[in-house]
Amino acid sequence: MLFPENDDEWEDESDDEAAKKFSKKGKKSKKAVAIADEDDESDSDSDSEGGGGFGLDLARLDESDSDSEIEEPENDEEDDEEEEEEEEEDIDIDDISINGSDEDEIRATMRVRETINNKDGLLAALKRIALDTSPSVPFVFHQSVVSSKPTADAIPSIDDDLVRELAFMNQALEAARFARTQLRKEGVPFTRPTDYFAETVRSDEIMDKVKAKLIEEATSKKASAEARKLRDLKKFGKQVQVAKQQERAKEKKATLEKISLLKKKRKDGASSALGAHEADDLFDVAVEKELKGNSSGKKRSFSAGEGGDRGDRNNKRQKKDSKYGFGGKKRHVKENDKTSAGDISGFSARGMKSSGPTKTGSGPGRGAKKPFKAPRLGKSRRKAGGK
Amino acid sequence: MSSVYRTLSKSSGKEVEAEDKSNGASGGMKKNKQRVLILSSRGVTYRHRHLLNDLAAMLPHGRKDVKFDSKSKMYQLNELAELYNCNNVMFFEARKGKDLYIWFSKAPNGPTVKMHAQNLHTMEELHFTGNCLKGSRPVLSFDATFESEPHLKVIKELFLHMFGVPQGARKSKPFLDHVMAFSVADGKIWIRNYEIREVEKVKGDDKESEEPATNKGKKSKFQQDKDTDVSLVEIGPRFVLTPIVIQEGAFGGPIIYENKRFISPNHVRSDLRKAKAGRHNARAEQKREGLGRKAELGLLGKGELKDKSGLDTRELFA
Repeated sequence: MLFPENDDEWEDESDDEAAKKFSKKGKKSKKAVAIADEDDESDSDSDSEGGGGFGLDLARLDESDSDSEIEEPENDEEDDEEEEEEEEEDIDIDDISINGSDEDEIRATMRVRETINNKDGLLAALKRIALDTSPSVPFVFHQSVVSSKPTADAIPSIDDDLVRELAFMNQALEAARFARTQLRKEGVPFTRPTDYFAETVRSDEIMDKVKAKLIEEATSKKASAEARKLRDLKKFGKQVQVAKQQERAKEKKATLEKISLLKKKRKDGASSALGAHEADDLFDVAVEKELKGNSSGKKRSFSAGEGGDRGDRNNKRQKKDSKYGFGGKKRHVKENDKTSAGDISGFSARGMKSSGPTKTGSGPGRGAKKPFKAPRLGKSRRKAGGK
Repeated sequence: MSSVYRTLSKSSGKEVEAEDKSNGASGGMKKNKQRVLILSSRGVTYRHRHLLNDLAAMLPHGRKDVKFDSKSKMYQLNELAELYNCNNVMFFEARKGKDLYIWFSKAPNGPTVKMHAQNLHTMEELHFTGNCLKGSRPVLSFDATFESEPHLKVIKELFLHMFGVPQGARKSKPFLDHVMAFSVADGKIWIRNYEIREVEKVKGDDKESEEPATNKGKKSKFQQDKDTDVSLVEIGPRFVLTPIVIQEGAFGGPIIYENKRFISPNHVRSDLRKAKAGRHNARAEQKREGLGRKAELGLLGKGELKDKSGLDTRELFA
């Protein structure tokens, strides 16, 4: 915004804009127009004097070498004019309230100055000091290369650091290549031999610092990468764990289903197949037993099957649980009720005479020899036994 | 024995001839004799000082001097340059302890360029891996834009004198290992310094591998010459110069170029301040207007409405 490409346009535009803006403002238009007029006048004056950008050059072209003496007063005059203008403009700007985009324009108008670009003077000065860099002179003499095309063309936006630096580097690279070939042609040593040691521009200390910095950067990068990896792994590990648990649950469910299916099948087989009654009976007993065992297990303890995840509890605990009971209601378990009170299945007159009950004592020829009575079983056992 | 002598004499004779030739060539043109006086004004910051030291380290034909204690009597620099037998002056002028202006001048009779230096980064603070010999002659790479305008041509010539180490300078080294790049972009001159590193070229053709291994020793040397490519590694420092003014003389004389696109950092700062003040002013104004409006409606304090109309309830049912 502040720097348009073409300088000449810039001046013109800014003048026009200024005039427009000033005329917009109702009250101040009179004063402003007057100032604008003054601006024009001063422009025309300076043009007639040969003070304006290119007018100056043309005028100076006509003038002779004694230029330099005359120039100084001219410049002074111009400066004075500028100062006056600026002063007036300053006053005006103080009056006008600045807002929004107008601000920039006003600032821009403030910045327009008479510029000096005395091309003849410049070229003369150049001629006085110039070194001969023409192709006839050996390259070693000056070692300067002018790039083949303007670097600015390769920079779309000056704020884009990467592109800009790349453009500069490409320019330098072109020069380096050219210089190398040129110097080889002239037989001038270019590459430093590996055994040539000498003081360098940046001391070893600084280079060490740079190296340390590089290493630090690399290590920190590595460390952060590792940390990230670990983090990811952790996250992933959790997922794996969850998946494993789900899989286990599924497996368990499947096995249970299979078992129940088997049971059902057996039951169905028992009810339907009357022919093979005996075998079924045997089978039935087994199933029944199994069921009972299961149910009793449920009541008394968490057996391996029912415990689920806690399948492998230690044996001692299991024993104790089965002995003393674990879980469930602990009161009234051993209390008699109507049926149990009336149940005299455990009683036998014969047993009273000789030895313990024959039901529980299961061994051939055992009853007569046993001198003491077997301890009374728990209610459920007794019940199970009774049935 | 005689054959050995003959060959020796032949070769020496050739050398003599070659020397003659080179002398003849160099005798035709002026010898490039440059010495640069490098100094700063008082009130430079550490960054300015370090930049100056960096530049001084790169210029074996430079003469660093103590701080110069005047900003108004710059013509005294010419005498100083004469005293030290220098024909170039590079003067770092610091203002307000923050702005740096660099003057490049050809000592006895001009021209002088004054530039504003921005974005200074010294070698030390830029952690680039490049390095080069102290006092090796740089290759100066100029942007093509330098040839387009007379004032840029003058600036280029001055850079050539000051940053280019003249051939056979006293402390210069015989090999080339860095490039200084001067580019014009956005109306400013950007200066960069790169190390030239020769790297093995990536081989695309199989010609080398097919050749017999008998003359391997010979070939490796040959390869070293031919089959390397150039790569650049930046060394530093980095800085950007905005040309402000060119004078015809050395620290004096008529102004032959003035950059109208240059805005003094003071202006920039004052504009920023003004913009900030403007914001406050606008807010204050708004507040005042709001108060005025309220007062008009009689909403401030106990003040009653100015004009009671006949239809006001208080009038009607009084």
